[in-house]
Amino acid sequence: MNTAPITTWEGAEAYFTFADKPALLVAIVIAGVAVCVWTICSMAAHENKSAKGL
Amino acid sequence: MQPEIADLMARIDALEAAKDMATTINAEVFYWWCTALMLAIHAGFLAYEMGASRAKNALASGMKNLIAFAFLIPSFYFVGWWIYLAFPDGFSIAEGSEVGLPWSEYMGPNMADNASGIFYAAFTLFAATTASIMSGSVIERIRISGFTILAIFLGAVVWVLGAAWGWHPDGWLTAKWGLHDVGAAGCVHTIAGFFTLGVLINLGPRLGRFSADGSVNNIDGHNMPMSLIGLMLIVMGFFGFLGGCIIYTGDAWTTIYGTPATLSAFAFNTLMGVAGGMIGCYLVTRDPFWMMSGALVGVISSASGLDIYYPGLAFLISFIGGCIIPKLNGILVRTFKIDDAVGAVSVHGFGGVWGLVACGIFAAGYPNVAGPEISFFGQIASTIVFVLLGFVPGYVLSLVLKGFGLLRVSEAAELAGLDRAEVPVSAYPESINPAFTNDTASPNPAV
Repeated sequence: MNTAPITTWEGAEAYFTFADKPALLVAIVIAGVAVCVWTICSMAAHENKSAKGL
Repeated sequence: MQPEIADLMARIDALEAAKDMATTINAEVFYWWCTALMLAIHAGFLAYEMGASRAKNALASGMKNLIAFAFLIPSFYFVGWWIYLAFPDGFSIAEGSEVGLPWSEYMGPNMADNASGIFYAAFTLFAATTASIMSGSVIERIRISGFTILAIFLGAVVWVLGAAWGWHPDGWLTAKWGLHDVGAAGCVHTIAGFFTLGVLINLGPRLGRFSADGSVNNIDGHNMPMSLIGLMLIVMGFFGFLGGCIIYTGDAWTTIYGTPATLSAFAFNTLMGVAGGMIGCYLVTRDPFWMMSGALVGVISSASGLDIYYPGLAFLISFIGGCIIPKLNGILVRTFKIDDAVGAVSVHGFGGVWGLVACGIFAAGYPNVAGPEISFFGQIASTIVFVLLGFVPGYVLSLVLKGFGLLRVSEAAELAGLDRAEVPVSAYPESINPAFTNDTASPNPAV
C-alpha cells in the first residue's frame, strides 16, 4: 500500500501517511473515536458483570 | 568587488537561516522537556491517590488515574486543540481554527510546522492534569467508566474552553476585562476544582464517612508515605507545567498574553509560593498530608501573577492560601457533608479562586498587550466565569451519569473493595489484606 503523499523530500510539507487523502483522515479519526467509545462501553459492561459476582 | 559583496550577502543569509533554525529547535526542545517533566505530575497523582486509598481500593484508584490519562491523549487530539483555537471570542468559531482539526495538515508530521505538535503535547498534559485533579476526590466509590467519561469531558472540552477564553493571547476575558492568569490558576485549577465539586454532590460520600448524627469519620489511606512522595512529584512536575505556561519567541520570553517575562521571574515566585503554602498549611494543620498539599496550594495561590510578583509577596500570598485552604476544606466536609477524599476542591478550586483574586488585589494596574490593565473587577468577574464553567458541566454531566447508573459502584462492591470488584490482580498479594479475609476467590470475570 503506497501511503506516502510525497514523491520527493524537496519542498515537502505535510508528509504523514495519507496526508493527501482528507476523507481517509476523517475516517481514521472516526475509527479512533469509535475505539474509545467501544472501550468505555466494554469497561461499563465489565463493571456490571463484576458487580453481579459479588 | 561585486563578487565579494554577493558572497558576503550569501553568508549573512546563511547565518540568518541558521539562527532561525536554532530558534525553532530551541523552542521545540524546551516544550518537549516541559512535557516530559509534566509527566511527573501524573506519576505524583498516581502515588498520592493510591496512598490515600484504603488497601482494598489501591489498584482501582491507580488504574482510574492511568486510564483517564490514556483516554485524554486521543480525546484532546480529536477535539481539544481545535476548541482552544476556535473559541477565544466565546462561543463563535474563530477564523483559521480549522488548523486544529484532527485531519488538518498541521496535526501530524509537517516540515513547515514545528509548533503544533509540541503545543498539542503540552496542552494535552495540562488537560490530563485537570482529570487527575478530579480523580483523587472521587476515589473508592466512583465507577471507572463514569469517571472516564467525566475526565474526557473535563480534559478535552471544559477546561480548554476556559483556556481559550482566559489563557490565550486573544481570549475574551483578557481582551474585555484584562484578566491576568499566567500560571493557569483559573482555567486549570479553578475549573477542575469546581467541576469536581459538581461531581461530588451527585456522587455522594463514601460509606461510613458520615455517621447518622452527621458527625465526620476519618477514612485514612493505607500508605501516607506514598502519598507524600506523590505530592512531591507533583511539585516537581509543576516546573514543567509552569515552564509550558511561558512562550519562547527566540528573542525573549513572553507570557501567554504577549507581555514580556523571564523564566527567572517564574523561578523566584514558584519556589517562594511552594514554601509559603507548605508553611501555611503546616501552621494550621500539623498534618504532613496537608503540608505537602500546601505546596500545591502555594503554587496555585501565586500562579496568576508569577511573572510580576515580588518574591516576598508571592511567599505571603501563598502563606495566606496555605492558612485558609485547609479551613475551607473543613467547612466543606463538616458543614456541607462533601466527601472530598484528598481535598482537591479546596486545594485547586478555592486555591485557584484565591490566586485569581490575589492578582486583582496585589497586581492591579499592570498593563496588558490586548485589553485593559489588570484590575480587581476583571479578576473577580473572570473568577466567577471560571467557577461556573467548571461547576455547571460537572454537576449536569454527573447527574446524567447518575441517572443511567454509571456514576457510582454498588454498595457490595464498595464494601468488598474496588480492587476485588474490578481489578484482575492484587496490590499486595503476599500480605494480609482485610478486604480478602476468608475469601480468596475473585468474582472478577477477567481473572
